[in-house]
Amino acid sequence: MTWRERWRRWLRPPRTLKITRIGRTYLVITLGVGLGALNTGNNLLYLVLGFLLSIIVLSGVLSERVIRDLAVRRLLPDGAFAQEPFALRYEVTRAEGRAFAVKVSEGEGALAGWAWIPTVLAGQPVVARADVVAPRRGPLRLKEVQLSTFFPFGLFEKSRTFELEDLLLVWPRRGFTCTPPQADHGRQAGELGNQRHRDGSGDVQGLRELGELEDARRVHWKKSASVGKLLKVEREREDKKQFTLRIGSEVPGDQLERDCEETAALTNRLLSEGGDVGLEAGGRKIRPGSGPGHEKRILSALAMLGYALPGRER
Amino acid sequence: MNLAERRTLRLRLRDLAAASSFAAVALSGALPIYVSIVFGAALFLSLAGQRPFERHPAWSVVVLLGLAVLLFGLAFRGQLDLVVAAVAFATLVTGQRMLSEPTPSTDQQVLLASLLLMTGAAALSGEIWYALCLLSFGVFACLSLGMTVVEGPIERDEELPLAPVMRQVSIGVALALVGGVSFFILFPRLSWNLASRRTGPGLLGGTTGMTDRVRLGGGGDIKTSARVVLRAKIEPRPTAEKLEKYWVGRHFDTFDGREWRGTGQPEEPKPRVMLGDPSAAIIQRIELLPAYGSRTLVGLEHPVYFGPAVALTTSGAMPANLIKVGSEEVRIADDGNAYTYTAQSRDDAPMREDDPQVLEALRRLPPKIDPRVSELATRLAGSATDPEQIARRLEQWLRNNLEYTLELPGEVEDPLADFLFVRKAGHCEHFATALAVMLRTRGVPTRVVGGFFGGERVSDRYVVRAGDAHAWVEAYSPARGWVTFDATPDDGRGSRPQVLIAKILDAYERLEELWRSRVVDYSLIDQWTFVRELIRPPANASRQQEDRDERPEPSTRTPTRAILAALAAGIAVWVVWQRLTGASARRHPAADFLTALERRLDQVQVRLREGEDIERLPERLRREHHRLAEPVRRASRRYLEARFGGRPLSKSERQALLDALTAPRNS
Repeated sequence: MTWRERWRRWLRPPRTLKITRIGRTYLVITLGVGLGALNTGNNLLYLVLGFLLSIIVLSGVLSERVIRDLAVRRLLPDGAFAQEPFALRYEVTRAEGRAFAVKVSEGEGALAGWAWIPTVLAGQPVVARADVVAPRRGPLRLKEVQLSTFFPFGLFEKSRTFELEDLLLVWPRRGFTCTPPQADHGRQAGELGNQRHRDGSGDVQGLRELGELEDARRVHWKKSASVGKLLKVEREREDKKQFTLRIGSEVPGDQLERDCEETAALTNRLLSEGGDVGLEAGGRKIRPGSGPGHEKRILSALAMLGYALPGRER
Repeated sequence: MNLAERRTLRLRLRDLAAASSFAAVALSGALPIYVSIVFGAALFLSLAGQRPFERHPAWSVVVLLGLAVLLFGLAFRGQLDLVVAAVAFATLVTGQRMLSEPTPSTDQQVLLASLLLMTGAAALSGEIWYALCLLSFGVFACLSLGMTVVEGPIERDEELPLAPVMRQVSIGVALALVGGVSFFILFPRLSWNLASRRTGPGLLGGTTGMTDRVRLGGGGDIKTSARVVLRAKIEPRPTAEKLEKYWVGRHFDTFDGREWRGTGQPEEPKPRVMLGDPSAAIIQRIELLPAYGSRTLVGLEHPVYFGPAVALTTSGAMPANLIKVGSEEVRIADDGNAYTYTAQSRDDAPMREDDPQVLEALRRLPPKIDPRVSELATRLAGSATDPEQIARRLEQWLRNNLEYTLELPGEVEDPLADFLFVRKAGHCEHFATALAVMLRTRGVPTRVVGGFFGGERVSDRYVVRAGDAHAWVEAYSPARGWVTFDATPDDGRGSRPQVLIAKILDAYERLEELWRSRVVDYSLIDQWTFVRELIRPPANASRQQEDRDERPEPSTRTPTRAILAALAAGIAVWVVWQRLTGASARRHPAADFLTALERRLDQVQVRLREGEDIERLPERLRREHHRLAEPVRRASRRYLEARFGGRPLSKSERQALLDALTAPRNS
């Protein structure tokens, strides 16, 4: 932790208080009633003023009661696409008592969005989902979670910050792709255009029902006759197209972002078309492969492109 | 409770809060009737679930702006009070919002507009109804706001347990009320209460209706009324709880056989009326309430001065002139719902009358009188010649031989003869008439006085009820002037509230009196007295001191009571604060286990690294193939279950887990 961060942390109050819109109006009315009471000496105005001020004090006390015994845990996804909403989950627990009207969000505005929890009972963890948006690609260090409450009257939003460090990989946004790159190997056979095809020349992988417009030459007639429907033989593919996507290491900032977005989009497109996709970028190589796990590997590599290892500055 | 039910409940609470604040304004009597009708319709529609402005929000705002122009136009032309116009506009805004789309934001706007109404009502009214309306508004508004807050910015159709929310908010409201009252009592008043319009026309109207004539016949329903018609602060302050004194209202000098009337002519209105020498007089600061229902001023016997009067109307307090009507009465020239003024009286110096024509008029008998009346007076007077002596004899005979009753059904031709010789029972007007007429038959100038007898102390004031209305006689003695005689038996003088309604009214009036003296008229002096009595409580007055009308000296002892009270208040505040903030919430048992666990780990040389917690420690120990990895994992897991999973840890289990950390393991 740098000295600046320590200093900022030391200066930061344990609770922050924001006045809501209705709270502002309420305060203006309270001020007006107070001035009216002082000017006129009308005792009923003093009575109303006393009630209004008590409500303000009570708001502070009850909201403190709500957020003081809370604990929160962040449940991160594997990664998230930049500028696309994704679900971030928080688990909020309370040792004793009850909490009401709790808003959970990332501290310091790291991610836009929040989760709402109407009630938290003691010993019963509540998982709430926040639809958040990460602004840009790269490793996003999440430092703190903010728990806020509007309870009891919605006049003020009292917040408490929990230091909770996590790293979220923000994958590049999948941008527009113009031209698919040249395949590494130019072979093409059978139903290569079909996304679901598994009709390579390797070992038998399995049987499945013949789909629309699929090649009837692959039907396993004997099995089909026994089950009464057309079943197709699937074999391991050895005829996939392989692509290796490359991003130059000397690309300037904006261009790098665009390249990453395009590469992410291409990866998705080529994988969905049945190809194997690899990546060469920033001195790192990922051999061509397929499947969701492989796509995540490529996306994670793209996310880290241009960034140092977690914990270091870009 | 699902979303639809929650929304219905929330809107009902919101509407009830708005209705409470509207009631506070409406009961002040200042709100124009058309505004009340409009709001009533809006409330009805809202409670019925109809919201016509939901589809036409822009048009409703245009209509509202038009009404604003109309109301404030009326105010600037002087046809409507500005405060009333503002309150009326706030009422219309509340109604408009109630009929708009029911979102949480709209609910909050309705409640804020209702809060403005409550504030306006505080400026327009000082009735005790206001307290009830404020209470119900506070409760309903807070519950509605609490529901709105828990619902969140976006309504979701999921089950929500509302009972704990309501319980929490209810406790909050109760504490807010206590806090509000404490603030009210303790916050120093920096100005006098000058601008309140605390007197509305009253819900029940005037009761006594003191008129310029008294007609014999009929019952005495008023004697059962417990309504307070007059409040007076008397200086020097009497010590008696019950004030056995006459409050003079007006005199009647002419009797026609059926009714008494006054014949005096009104003089020019003026701010003050002097009737005699006010030196060493008893000073009374009197408030005539709406229940009084008359403009005749009242003062303790014998009034010598009536001072500056203020008429309290629905549009505020304004100075009022006084009109003296012959020697009969002093009345207020201007109309109002209630009046305040100062009166001074001297019971030791009866008034004198030097005009022989006036005295002659007060000896005049009705044109038709039963001869038995005169015969009876002659027989009772006997040989007495002194007017006072004659009056005393007649008074005693009437009090001892005739009965007091309020049951006088039917009309009779000669009520006096009927009272004296047939029924031999009547109420104060019969007794006073009989005494006055019999004295006149003996040539003694007399007049009947209408007013009140009695008064009971409530805090530092005396209140007089409608049932205390009374009639008695003043006879003129050349030696002493006007002397008071009262032929009515003792049990017929004061009020006789017997029926249930009278008791309820009595309770209400007492409550209202408390409300006025402790809330509406609460001042810096009251605060000072409160603090002074807290610090230096007055010593108990002895009977002798009370008899001598002496005030007890303040105690000079150490203010033990004040210290104890302050200590008790401080402890109470601390306890409430601790309970609310949970600062004194007992430590979770699992936390104790964690402390013991950490201590034990320290003993066995297993230390947490920087930034490492008990949850992650077992993982590291496992990686390091530490012999205590498994027992630490079990203890750590069990701690987390006990702390956050709601699975409490028994003593034996805790001990077993800790013991496992000392025994060598081969894992």
